[in-house]
Amino acid sequence: MPREIITLQVGQCGNQIGMEFWKQLCLEHGISKDGILEDFATQGGDRKDVFFYQADDQHYIPRALLIDLEPRVINGIQNSEYRNLYNHENIFVSDHGGGAGNNWASGYHQGEQVQEDIMDMVDREADGSDSLEGFVLCHSIAGGTGSGMGSYLLETLNDRYSKKLVQTYSVFPNQMETSDVVVQPYNSLLTLKRLTLNADCVVVLDNTALNRIAVERLHLSNPTFAQTNSLVSTVMSASTTTLRYPGYMNNDLVGLLASLIPTPRCHFLMTGYTPLTVERQANVIRKTTVLDVMRRLLQTKNIMVSSYARTKEASQAKYISILNIIQGEVDPTQVHESLQRIRERKLVNFIEWGPASIQVALSRKSPYVQTAHRVSGLMLASHTSIRHLFSKCLSQYEKLRKKQAFLDNYRKFPMFADNDLSEFDESREIIESLVDEYKACESPDYIKWGMEDPDRAMTEEGSATGTVDLKTVV
Amino acid sequence: MEEEEQKRVLDLVKELVLRLVSNSSSPEEESTIESEKALKYAMRILGSRMTPSISIDEASMAESIKRHLVNEGKSSDALTFADLHTKFSSKSGSGCIQNKWSVLYLLKVISEDRRKDKKSDSRVSSGFFASTVSGGLPVLVDESSCNSRKTLDKSRISNGNGGVLLISKDPENIRDIALRDFANLLKEESEIVEGCLVRDVLYVSQGIDGKYVKFDKNLDGYVLLDSIKVPKSMRIMVRKLCELGWLFKKVKAYVSESMDRSPSEDVGTVGQAFCAALQDELSEYYKLLAVLEVQSVNPIPMVSESTNSGSYLSLRRLLVWFAEPMVKMRLMAVLVDSFKALKGGAMAGAIHMHAQHGDPLVQEFMRRLLRRVCSPLFEMVRSWVLEGELDDIFSEFFVLGQPVKAESLWVEGYRLHSVMLPSFISSSLAQRILRTGKSINFLRVCCEDQGWADAASEAAAAVGTTTRRGGLVYGETDALEALVTEAAKRIDKHLMDVIYNRYKFKDHCMAIKRYLLLGQGDFVQYLMDIVGPELSEPANTISSFKLSGLLESAIRSSNAQYDDPDILDRLRVKMMQHGTGDRGWDVFSLEYDARVPLNTVFSESVMARYLKIFNFLWKLRRVEHALIGSWKTMKPNCISSHFLTKKDCPVKSQFDSTLRRCQVIWDEMNHFVSNLQYYIMFEVLEVSWSLFVEEMEAGEDLDDLLAAHEKYLRSIVEKSLLGERSQTLCKTLFVLLDLILRFRSHADRLYEGIYELQARTMESSLSIRGKNKSKPRSTKEATEFGSWAGGGRKALTQRAGEFLRNMGHELDRIANEYSSTLEGFIGQLPMQQHVDLKFLLFRLDFTEFYSRLRVST
Repeated sequence: MPREIITLQVGQCGNQIGMEFWKQLCLEHGISKDGILEDFATQGGDRKDVFFYQADDQHYIPRALLIDLEPRVINGIQNSEYRNLYNHENIFVSDHGGGAGNNWASGYHQGEQVQEDIMDMVDREADGSDSLEGFVLCHSIAGGTGSGMGSYLLETLNDRYSKKLVQTYSVFPNQMETSDVVVQPYNSLLTLKRLTLNADCVVVLDNTALNRIAVERLHLSNPTFAQTNSLVSTVMSASTTTLRYPGYMNNDLVGLLASLIPTPRCHFLMTGYTPLTVERQANVIRKTTVLDVMRRLLQTKNIMVSSYARTKEASQAKYISILNIIQGEVDPTQVHESLQRIRERKLVNFIEWGPASIQVALSRKSPYVQTAHRVSGLMLASHTSIRHLFSKCLSQYEKLRKKQAFLDNYRKFPMFADNDLSEFDESREIIESLVDEYKACESPDYIKWGMEDPDRAMTEEGSATGTVDLKTVV
Repeated sequence: MEEEEQKRVLDLVKELVLRLVSNSSSPEEESTIESEKALKYAMRILGSRMTPSISIDEASMAESIKRHLVNEGKSSDALTFADLHTKFSSKSGSGCIQNKWSVLYLLKVISEDRRKDKKSDSRVSSGFFASTVSGGLPVLVDESSCNSRKTLDKSRISNGNGGVLLISKDPENIRDIALRDFANLLKEESEIVEGCLVRDVLYVSQGIDGKYVKFDKNLDGYVLLDSIKVPKSMRIMVRKLCELGWLFKKVKAYVSESMDRSPSEDVGTVGQAFCAALQDELSEYYKLLAVLEVQSVNPIPMVSESTNSGSYLSLRRLLVWFAEPMVKMRLMAVLVDSFKALKGGAMAGAIHMHAQHGDPLVQEFMRRLLRRVCSPLFEMVRSWVLEGELDDIFSEFFVLGQPVKAESLWVEGYRLHSVMLPSFISSSLAQRILRTGKSINFLRVCCEDQGWADAASEAAAAVGTTTRRGGLVYGETDALEALVTEAAKRIDKHLMDVIYNRYKFKDHCMAIKRYLLLGQGDFVQYLMDIVGPELSEPANTISSFKLSGLLESAIRSSNAQYDDPDILDRLRVKMMQHGTGDRGWDVFSLEYDARVPLNTVFSESVMARYLKIFNFLWKLRRVEHALIGSWKTMKPNCISSHFLTKKDCPVKSQFDSTLRRCQVIWDEMNHFVSNLQYYIMFEVLEVSWSLFVEEMEAGEDLDDLLAAHEKYLRSIVEKSLLGERSQTLCKTLFVLLDLILRFRSHADRLYEGIYELQARTMESSLSIRGKNKSKPRSTKEATEFGSWAGGGRKALTQRAGEFLRNMGHELDRIANEYSSTLEGFIGQLPMQQHVDLKFLLFRLDFTEFYSRLRVST
């Protein structure tokens, strides 16, 4: 009865990072490329069955669905050395193989078309697990398949598995370089709406920041997708270590996320990882300590979400929650010392409307993966500065929308048929309110936020709001 | 017979006196007075113990006479004398003269006297008798001394022969007179001769009553009979000498008493050894007495004869002879006296105390005794330390065993008997001795191990010769210590090996940490998931059999399944005593069956404390579980997309505020619980554990291990607020936890209501929102919203407003109660004595949210 998690990798990007993720998991659990447990992997203690299940011949199969509308990436996987790892029944490639043409609407529509096939696969996987904890969706929000079809899947999952968790690893497009996808802002906005409404937790993987980190931190002049993807897979696997190596706390995804997301709407998480290394790269090995790792994790330059905030805004940005997952051989007494140091130095700004603290989870390192560093750490944090990322998306959308550019591609599909662009407006509205909520979180009066609407407060529900004695709320 | 003889002697003497005196021409009555005087005097001379100071030797006397005759030129006479003497001395048998020497001596003196009379006027006449008898009785001395003990004058008389002339050129003879007076005095005061007393004293010193010196029960000592007249000084001397006898009697009595006692009585081996040692000392003493007795046969020469003092015994000499035995005897008597009640180690200890003496004689004597006395004791130590045998039927050893159950063997099975601990064994050494033997017994009884024998023999080999039976002697404490150290080292190491390797102590500690202290998170989670519904039932309806089944399945479906089956087998469900109204939650717990020998560490009381910790952690986990459960109902994608959040909805603001209120309260509670959990994990469990592991590895013996474990457990209990000192805090904490559980049910109701509302509105708006893709949610009838169905949208909204208001009120109530309790809790934290709670405060108030709150209010 492990808390199984089913991974759905949708679209080109989703499948790429998904593949990296599975590679990493196989390494850490000592599972060979064919899904067979390596001879050396005898040191128990890890839970493989959260992400894998065993076939009759005992080989491990990832609980993963590989979905794409075009065959290129998936074919690549099927021709790679990992081809025998996946359950071939779980691979879905659209029949016509034409892809979504970077069109959200196309992806969404196609998703609708093939939903039965896909939901069959999902149901089969779900039925195959004893106590399904939830789903993890890997996709990008800029393209067509990952964003459009991903959005459709999110809605469907939300509907059909409303009690289950839905977590996404969403890759945000690189804003620094001119994208080949001109309709990126439309796609992003429409996907963001689903991420806001239909996902429980969104781990934001900002390509801009990933590139920046690859350039600045890893000194790669021109980082490849594979290299940025390996950063992603590092983050993904690290964020699941506590699920895979059970300890006293944080043994399930709900527990992990619940503390991170106290306000349901603000469920977009930033990540940071240190020390970063990339394959085939001889980095300088540092001395790592808990304090060192935790301090680095709080530095913006290590965070995998770019901050578009202006200085003044940045200074007001606050952490809603932080979870540091520290891996390696750590003396538990160091944790307290590090926390103390961080507080003394005032390295971290927390929300003021409620109690908060840096949560630290210690997790074992896989015994099968040799790392140069003694201690490594992943930060998962909910930070209000993420609103600037959304604002940026909004402003790009506004620019495009004003010009009424490229809307024709969307009107071809039922959702936008008859020039009904209300979906865009609704999405914009929702993202705006999300940004507002994040902004409100920066103020100590978050609890009162949204209730100061004077005419509302004074009308029929006046007495109701009046009874809420805000002074006593702590 | 004797009296008759005395009377005959008296008559003879009387006749002799009368013969001598009556030939004077004095009147009748005068002569009778004279004769009586003379008689009296004669008697006194006879009664006196004065003896000639020349040696009593018939041959030399004869020789001296012969020489005398030759000197006077009468060689033929001398020959005749020799011939006569030969005949005389060859006569023996009854009727013959016994005292041949005396006869010869008498004859010699008479002949000399006659010669002197011829040469000069008799000085004798003016001499000895003048004071008593008026008129010369020139030959009286010679004749009356026929009974041999005739003395004083002889020196003067025997001018030329072996006698010593004491007074020669003193015409007035003052000294002579003084001496004579002294002799008189002696004669007057002493009714018995010194020799008798010496003999008596010798008897007495063997504990036998003498003729004159007898044991007086009243005075508890030997005394010279009062009826006997002796000089005071002599009496004192006798008293002094008799002390030895008195002491001897004591010692002897003790020894024979101890020896006579049957072995079943508790003399003990040490006591026996002591008696044997005393016996040896006594036999030394007997030897001395035998020598003295031989000497006592020799007559005591008179004061004046001191020159040829041979081996005779006088009281004074005895005093010297007895000086050393007296000391020893006194020591023995002291020991005997003070040891009446003592035995075993206590006795050895007491002797040791006496051995701490400056006098080398005493010291040596005591050491000799101790060497004997300690040998059984050391033998016990040896067999205890090397074989774990406690053959101490008389309970003399300083280790006491008592029959106990195997699990308490280590703790209660053996203890030091401090009374029996001799002071020359330090208490730390004694502890080591105790532990070593205990370890052997523990290994033998609890671990069913045989390997200790090898360890013991190795130890024996390492120490060498001293391990032989009886090889250890008193005074070589170093050797003893070396043996004990060596044995302890090896036995302890072996014991540790057995505990760690064969009985996997560490694995079991780990298992307890993982299962009883909830360290195995996935297992605990499943257990919580599957027993949760069961435990909400009243305690008396729950079958522990079923719970065991659930435990089993929790093990199977978590990583616990890979654990050692032996460990899993020991994990059980335990239902505590339950009262009425108790829910399953109150009585459920897990227990771990440590079994022999590990239950020495995990004893019942220890397990009871683990149980307490388990209950606390389990409760905490349950609350955490509840909070996460309620998060799941309010999780982001559940409530985001429905009409109430639409801007135009009339209750939006109220809805938002209620929900946010609920979320904020949830957040605060979750913050509290999760930080408490983090605190428990890092500051309590992990830190204590790593300390424990450190100490466990450093520990050299079972006691160290027990201490380390005790420290570990105590630190967990203290830090997790379960200790004595934090009872009020703990109570507050449980109030808080219960409040959180109450909150959970409220939040559930709130969200249930909202879902219901959502479903209704969706039903009613299904026609409007044609694009709605979701299939209708299952509607629950007979809920509080059941009646809303027909009311239409407006009524629905109104109902919703009412419902939200009510829920808001209840949430407020809980929130207020919660925050005031929490404030109390946090306020109490800094006042606690243990530092670790500061860590908890630090975590709870990391952003100083509560400090600020406090300042502002």
